[in-house]
Amino acid sequence: MIESLLGRPGDLVTHADVCVIGSGAGGAVAAAELAGAGLDVVVLEQGHHWTAADFTQREEEMLPRLFEEAGMRQTDDGSVIVLQGRCVGGSTVHNLCYAFRTPDPILRMWRDEHGVADMTPEAMAASFERVERTLKVKQIRPDEVNALNAVIRRGVEKLGWSGFVTRHNREGCVQSGYCILGCSYDAKQSMLVTYVPKASSAGARIFSNARVERIEVANGRVTGVVGRAVDPSGRVGACIDVRARVVVLSAGAIASPDLLLRSAIANRSGLVGRGLHLHPSVMVAGFFEEELNAYRGIPQSYYVDEFIDLERDPHRGYVLMPISGFPGLTGANLPGFGRESFRFLRSFSRMAGLLVLLHDQSEGSVAPGSSLSRPRIRYQLTDADRRQLAEGLVHCCEVLLAAGAREVVVPFWNDPLVLRPGDDLGGILRRGVRQGEIPIASTHPQSTCRMGGDPRTSVVNPWGESHEVRGLFVADMSVFPTSLGAPPQITTAALADRTAQHIRARWAELSA
Amino acid sequence: MTSFTRRGFFALAGGAAALGSIASLRVAPAAALTTAGGARFFGDAEREILTSVVERMVDTGEPGAPAVRATRTIETIDALCAGLDPSATAPLPALLRLVEWGPLLFERRLARFTTLDAAAQDTALRGWMTSRIALRRVGFYALRNLSLLGYWSQDETWPLIGYAGPLLRKPRSVA
Repeated sequence: MIESLLGRPGDLVTHADVCVIGSGAGGAVAAAELAGAGLDVVVLEQGHHWTAADFTQREEEMLPRLFEEAGMRQTDDGSVIVLQGRCVGGSTVHNLCYAFRTPDPILRMWRDEHGVADMTPEAMAASFERVERTLKVKQIRPDEVNALNAVIRRGVEKLGWSGFVTRHNREGCVQSGYCILGCSYDAKQSMLVTYVPKASSAGARIFSNARVERIEVANGRVTGVVGRAVDPSGRVGACIDVRARVVVLSAGAIASPDLLLRSAIANRSGLVGRGLHLHPSVMVAGFFEEELNAYRGIPQSYYVDEFIDLERDPHRGYVLMPISGFPGLTGANLPGFGRESFRFLRSFSRMAGLLVLLHDQSEGSVAPGSSLSRPRIRYQLTDADRRQLAEGLVHCCEVLLAAGAREVVVPFWNDPLVLRPGDDLGGILRRGVRQGEIPIASTHPQSTCRMGGDPRTSVVNPWGESHEVRGLFVADMSVFPTSLGAPPQITTAALADRTAQHIRARWAELSA
Repeated sequence: MTSFTRRGFFALAGGAAALGSIASLRVAPAAALTTAGGARFFGDAEREILTSVVERMVDTGEPGAPAVRATRTIETIDALCAGLDPSATAPLPALLRLVEWGPLLFERRLARFTTLDAAAQDTALRGWMTSRIALRRVGFYALRNLSLLGYWSQDETWPLIGYAGPLLRKPRSVA
């Protein structure tokens, strides 16, 4: 049972063992595991509860339903778009289902360099397995690779580079291609159809349109949360007051630090909201003679890992990922306006997108903004990261041209680079990637409440609990000690599972 | 007075996910609050400026392309803006008025945007797109992305680009 606070006649005033803030990859897992252990759990989700029946496959309807700030959330200078979910199920409702475990070298680095105890593949195995079983993770079959991904694979194989077909969390997928607008068939095994119902079945009370505005602390331990009912345009309604012995903060790497900072808690290190990584990505469009209809079929099943070797260097690298879109979204990512813009858009059905996604070392920050729903996000790429992105753009062009593209477009806003087979790609490096001159997007904000063994250099301990506030846990991408360098869904869920198991094991002490 | 802030423009210049129609929220309890009274975001004069801007932003040069005024493009954009966080949308009316008086302010021409011919309107918009003033560029992209999403979300535009449309044919919930 999920109750919207918009329809509630009075305030929500209640007690619980555990209050979970957010219902995405972290919060839903924590809620299900803790409710399954017999604890009284309340989940407060700021977004609305949409279901498959609401997913219309129309971008102009679904983007404002499913995304923070209707998909307009951006860094302070407007140079990077930050896409995050705002609905029951969080970003798992719109993600494209890559299901990767945390790379082993990253786990080792978190353990060895950041003091995250017991962070080994073996120690994490039980959490990974539980999460993957619940999300029904399995290998994509060859016949499920759509035309877009097949084209990218063709180019990669022609170049002799490394790439592979990945594992996804899908069950009974009809390959409609509308994953990013919410699955109309409940085939995507998002939190909306897995852990959220599991939590509900186990007795968790789940409230949507419930915005937490402050976490309350007394004598060094968490005591509860307060907030307001909120509609999608930010108008507020009933008051919320939940008293709880444990609070699990899972609002994502933008909202979680924002809430801690607004509450003025857990920040003796001064690191709350700092160290933001974005996995920034930039897209190249390739235009083919053949009809691809890239928007049909599973959007992202192939993955190019030629330019990342985390065993050799866990701090840098980038991957290439196919990407498709729908007309409005695609048009917004192409340069120019009017007939210049239409010149590209008219070939929509013959277009293949390939993006470079960076394992970034650049660090930004999150701070409260003038509006509760619009935190300030600052992020500037380092020169080294800008060079890596530019190199990645060159490689995207190489793949698309090797696959048979008749032209590729690097979408510099005011002066797009249109390249054909045989053209010199060095112009991309000469021009470089500068923020504000080319569309940059992020779907993986992370690392703003870092996990670690040292309270001076981290916000939460290796189990996700605040170094300073007893009973306050963080379970979302904000706890990553560094950039992950891989799609984050499974890592987020497995770390939340690990934190939940820890809370279960320590419940007698935490509830005392 | 409407605030005319850099941050507000930045928030509206969203590219990848762009924008959508908040009127669709009518199917949900949230809708009652969001679209109460069917209030419009833009006034009549602003809608006229917006229409002129959108017509240039989505000009295809194709004789068979649906005219902006023959579609629900403006209604889609209006409905979206009416439902978003006001801190994001508040600068839009002022931005449109700036575009309208842009020829006078930035080009020293005694004309308003809506009275220019198509070529002159394109020149004016290009001035915004390539301006050395970041705020103008960001304002341009806000209007461009609203225009693109508003127009290309109309079913009748899809044949122009070979988009077959949703597999589901649910009744559209846009106003």
